Amino acid sequence: MEVWNLLLQGFGVALQPINLGWALAGVTLGTVVGVLPGLGPAVSIALLLPLTTKIEPAGALIMFAGIYYGAMYGGSTTSILLNTPGESATIVTAMEGNQMAKRGRAGPALCTAAVGSFVAGTIATVLLTVLAPQVVDLAIRFGPPEYFALMMLAFITVSAVLGNSPLRGLTALFVGLAIGIVGIENQSGQARFVFGIPQLADGIEVVTIAVGLFAVGETLYLASKLNSAVDKIETVKGSIMMTRDDWKRSWKPWLRGTAIGFPIGAMPAGGAEIPTFLSYGVEKKLAKNPEEFGKGAIEGVAGPEAANNASSTGVMVPLLTLGLPTSATAAILLAAFQQYGLQPGPLLFETNPALVWGLIASFYVGNVMLLVLNLPLIGIWIKLLEIPRPQLYAGILVFAAMGVYGMRQSAFDVFLLYVIGCMGLLMRRYDFPAAPVLIGMILGPLAEEQMRRSLSISQGNPLVFFERPLSGSILVLAIAILIGPWLWKTLRKRNK
Amino acid sequence: MKTIHKGQLAVALGVAALGIAILAGAWFIPDAAGYSTVGPAAIPRLVGVGLLVAAAALLWEVLRSGFRHHDEAAEQALPTDWAAFIWISVAILTYGLLIERAGFIVSSVLLYVLTAVGFGSRRWLLNAGIGAVIAVIIYVAFQRGLGLSLPPGIFKGLL
Repeated sequence: MEVWNLLLQGFGVALQPINLGWALAGVTLGTVVGVLPGLGPAVSIALLLPLTTKIEPAGALIMFAGIYYGAMYGGSTTSILLNTPGESATIVTAMEGNQMAKRGRAGPALCTAAVGSFVAGTIATVLLTVLAPQVVDLAIRFGPPEYFALMMLAFITVSAVLGNSPLRGLTALFVGLAIGIVGIENQSGQARFVFGIPQLADGIEVVTIAVGLFAVGETLYLASKLNSAVDKIETVKGSIMMTRDDWKRSWKPWLRGTAIGFPIGAMPAGGAEIPTFLSYGVEKKLAKNPEEFGKGAIEGVAGPEAANNASSTGVMVPLLTLGLPTSATAAILLAAFQQYGLQPGPLLFETNPALVWGLIASFYVGNVMLLVLNLPLIGIWIKLLEIPRPQLYAGILVFAAMGVYGMRQSAFDVFLLYVIGCMGLLMRRYDFPAAPVLIGMILGPLAEEQMRRSLSISQGNPLVFFERPLSGSILVLAIAILIGPWLWKTLRKRNK
Repeated sequence: MKTIHKGQLAVALGVAALGIAILAGAWFIPDAAGYSTVGPAAIPRLVGVGLLVAAAALLWEVLRSGFRHHDEAAEQALPTDWAAFIWISVAILTYGLLIERAGFIVSSVLLYVLTAVGFGSRRWLLNAGIGAVIAVIIYVAFQRGLGLSLPPGIFKGLL
């Protein structure tokens, strides 16, 4: 079994004391930013990108990945105890978990969320371990047209399938693509939209966009629209341990949630919202007493939490094997690889197995650390919720400005940050999703490169994308996803 | 009676303006196509057209019944606190203006205090104190840990 040998090698990397330290730093930081409202994993990793100049790749990536899945654990704490949900992926948990907390069962809710996340995270990592080499074997035969088609599929699923409106998602995607164009183009050396400003010649920093849209936009929205709304924090009374009955009611939803979450995350569709909602629906349907749902049913916390975590690990499959990010945080992780001049994909498994497998092995380690951090030490994180809003958001902005300025020591970026922050405020106000902007910005230039390469292979024949069976069918699938729902609705209307 | 939401209209027109700007900019990119027959101007043109199509569709939604699946009434029910918006805007813009003149610590403390005011906190001294502690910790961590220096400004030679 070659896979297990490689994984064992990976553990050799992940268990080095220095990398254990990075993993612990990552998951702890992830838990903190997951708990704190207003500072998500995407922003946190973006702010720490300057570290890539000082740390070797394995350590930095292990830490960044730790922030990514650590924030999933932390986010559930906030959504259970605070009734303004911290993260979009945990909205269902917010509903059911917050209801449990209101009825004095905050402890078991936190416990089933943490253990469920651990179970789902670990199983999903095993699936990732087994699946990744298979996808790599397949992907090694992909040429530029296939990569281009996959990127189109990712563009369409992240913008048109997730969120409330495909149109607003696609608009956000095009804005992201427009941002990605700015700078000196890779292949021709041609400057685009630079206007003679040296800061623009290097392209717009990912940090500025991520921090502007998420941290500054969110801060502006909260201060100007929701400052009058008061958060209510539920207290944790009694033991956090689950009763025998709680365990009995939780373990099946954990497994079902994993089974729903991982495949959806692993597809080039991504997104954590769909699996959590699906899992919630399934648990409600299968429950012996569905009337308890909406009033604090533990299954309604256990299932979606597991689904959420499994899908976030699933997202690593397309990211590591194809270099395809399908969530905002995954896009930032891709940017972190790029800081080292690394491009995730089948080639990276060949050239740098220690790094890739070390990273995968660190997921196992990180999940164990998170279980400890989130059960016995939960009390510390709950304290974080008590930081008053003015002090919390003022602190967030100080870190945000420092990260954006520090990236390349340019005051220009601070003003750009403000502009992007205002755009984030408007996007929040008019319900445009932010993730497609980041994905468009980071993946856009890569897609352009693959398109150019494909066309130079075919000497300019654009049919190259449809003549190759694999890229052709992926593109057809993408188009079907884009216009399918609309077509179906129109046809049904006509038949009536 | 259909009402046209002015804000939504402005957003749709803003997207259209961005599309036009991108198309206009793409006009000036010399398009020297190599073997691939598409040069560096091809994608900007496509993106510009995409933005215009999106803007047209948004405009169509606005003129019919407003953005689909968007709870405009709920948003409008929330009053907008413009004072808070202005305080925080001033906070960030001041930071941009002062970072290279007064230095990282001074501008961070100002950013902290002004943002806290935006959120309704009037405990100036406490906020300035917390802001200073955070700023000094970051400054030292950057200097010692990363070897990158943030602008010292008026504290030049002290830290």
